[in-house]
Amino acid sequence: MKLLTKSTYYFLILSLLAMIAGGALLYLTIKKVIYKQIDNSLITEKSIIEDQIRQTDTIPDFEATFGHRIEVKLQNHAIRNYQSIKDTDVYDSKSDSFTSFRYIYSSGNSFQKKGYVITIFQEISEKNELLQDISLYMFFLFASLLLISILINYLIARRLWMPFYKSVQIAGRFDIQSDMPLDLPQTDIKEFNQLNSVFYEMTHKMRNDYLNLKEFSENAAHEIQTPLAVIRSKTDLLMQQKNLNKESLSLIKSINEANTKLFKLNQGLLLISKIENQAFHEKKIISLKQIVESSLENYMEILQLKNIKVEMDIRDEALVEMNDVLAEVLISNLLSNAVRFNVDNGFIRCHIDKTNLIVTNSGLAMTIDPELLFRRFHKGSDNPHSVGLGLSIVKKITDTYGMEIAYFCHDSEHEIQLRYRRKIH
Amino acid sequence: MKLLIVEDDRSLSRSINDYLKLEGHICEVALTLDDAMQKTSVNKYDCLILDIGLPDGNGLDLIREMKTRKLTGGILILSAKSSLDDKVVGLKIGADDYLTKPFHFAELSARINSIYRRNNFLGQNEITFNEIRIKTEDNQVYVNETLLILTKKEYDLLVFFMANTNRIITKESIVEHLWGDNVILTDSFDFVYTHVKNLRKKIVAARGKNYIKCIYGFGYKFIDT
Repeated sequence: MKLLTKSTYYFLILSLLAMIAGGALLYLTIKKVIYKQIDNSLITEKSIIEDQIRQTDTIPDFEATFGHRIEVKLQNHAIRNYQSIKDTDVYDSKSDSFTSFRYIYSSGNSFQKKGYVITIFQEISEKNELLQDISLYMFFLFASLLLISILINYLIARRLWMPFYKSVQIAGRFDIQSDMPLDLPQTDIKEFNQLNSVFYEMTHKMRNDYLNLKEFSENAAHEIQTPLAVIRSKTDLLMQQKNLNKESLSLIKSINEANTKLFKLNQGLLLISKIENQAFHEKKIISLKQIVESSLENYMEILQLKNIKVEMDIRDEALVEMNDVLAEVLISNLLSNAVRFNVDNGFIRCHIDKTNLIVTNSGLAMTIDPELLFRRFHKGSDNPHSVGLGLSIVKKITDTYGMEIAYFCHDSEHEIQLRYRRKIH
Repeated sequence: MKLLIVEDDRSLSRSINDYLKLEGHICEVALTLDDAMQKTSVNKYDCLILDIGLPDGNGLDLIREMKTRKLTGGILILSAKSSLDDKVVGLKIGADDYLTKPFHFAELSARINSIYRRNNFLGQNEITFNEIRIKTEDNQVYVNETLLILTKKEYDLLVFFMANTNRIITKESIVEHLWGDNVILTDSFDFVYTHVKNLRKKIVAARGKNYIKCIYGFGYKFIDT
């Protein structure tokens, strides 16, 4: 749940509770006031009548106040003093309905010890209507007050939290590889400024660590080249010595092979870090078709040796905009995989259209998860000559240019699909 | 040939020195840019083998210096950085060739010979080995004065062999020389065999001697036994 929704939600519930309680309290108070007023007028009227009875011993000539109905009875003997005010419903035969009344019942004795009973009724349905009206207005008033305050609360909160959402959004777009500083919004709220400075420090540190690491791996890769050259030169020299026996030759051969593998590995890692460093930023319009054709020529000898049949299904020039060196690395990696992991008398099918380059080749069935192949040092075969970097280089290149690469394996048929955006001109 | 090796790694420069001496060259070694500047100002070298990353400066400066002083002699750049920029700049300001570390000595040897030929025998480029004669300016091979018809790869292979006579050449370095770095990713170098076989057949057919000796599991040796 969004923070804004949550705070509005809590606000709504709490103010609703408060308003219900307040409304009920107000209703009761008003009702009490109205009843008090009715009772007072009943008592006043009763007192007037009572005074007259006491003085004259006769039922006075009176005129009822509006809405009052008065009944007076005289007795010849004394009765008990009593007074009560109550509600009652009186059946009205005319309208065949009950009407609510408040009435005072008072009995007492005059100076001549003659008893009297005064009952005064006041119709209260009118007063109830008034109460209802007041309640209704109150309800609307409360409701609109609630709505307005929710709206204001929402607007204020939204405005207050704006820098927060902006910061989060900007921090989310943080790219460790770009050297653009985070452009976080200025705010006069202390907490948000704290948050922003934490963001700044964190990203700054992350970027520094990343750069250090990158620099380290670049330097390491470069520095490794010279010792590798030394090893190769020494084995080359060793090899030329006279009277070497078979064992020594085979030892030199192993050293040479290991050295070559190390060299390839280093070259691959260097290439990956160069792609990451955007060392290949120059772009050209490239025809993938031409690169595929020229790359395949490099493999003619191996293809003949393994007797692999090549089928070309070319429907488009496949023009893309990318760096020419990377385009060649990309294609030659894909094709060299198709050649290396092929079987004798196998086939390679190359399909090129406007948006797809599909290389299918025969080979041995695969047992590992195809997705893992694109990771560094994951090998689909136990070939000791393979270093397991080819497809991760491919992935790096395709990521750089927003291309998609997918690998499928149906039994002994391997298919690698490259999807690209065609350069339209 | 008189050569100057400018390389700060002692071990590597000694190896290069040893190998090129075996080839019959006269070599001197400079470990710093300063040293190299001094040596080039005093002596004349046929070819410079120059590392770019030197402790006291950039090897490219030496090339600029030599060019402003109009010194002759070929220059082969040697670098750990396979950076395209260095290569482009180096070749632009007057280097003859570029080799990335690590390299095979057979390749180094072939490159030096090629630079030397280009600079010294203008229009008269010939490599001979007994009855085999290669006219490098028009890529023609004669065995006992009969013209051999060779494919491009067979021709390159023969030139490579001739630049490294009496040395063991690994299949790997042959592949690297003929097909470039990309194909080296392949694990089988068996296809080299086909080319060697064809080349040998053609030379023998022209009544040439079979100089290409197979070193089992390793490579070949071009030798007159």
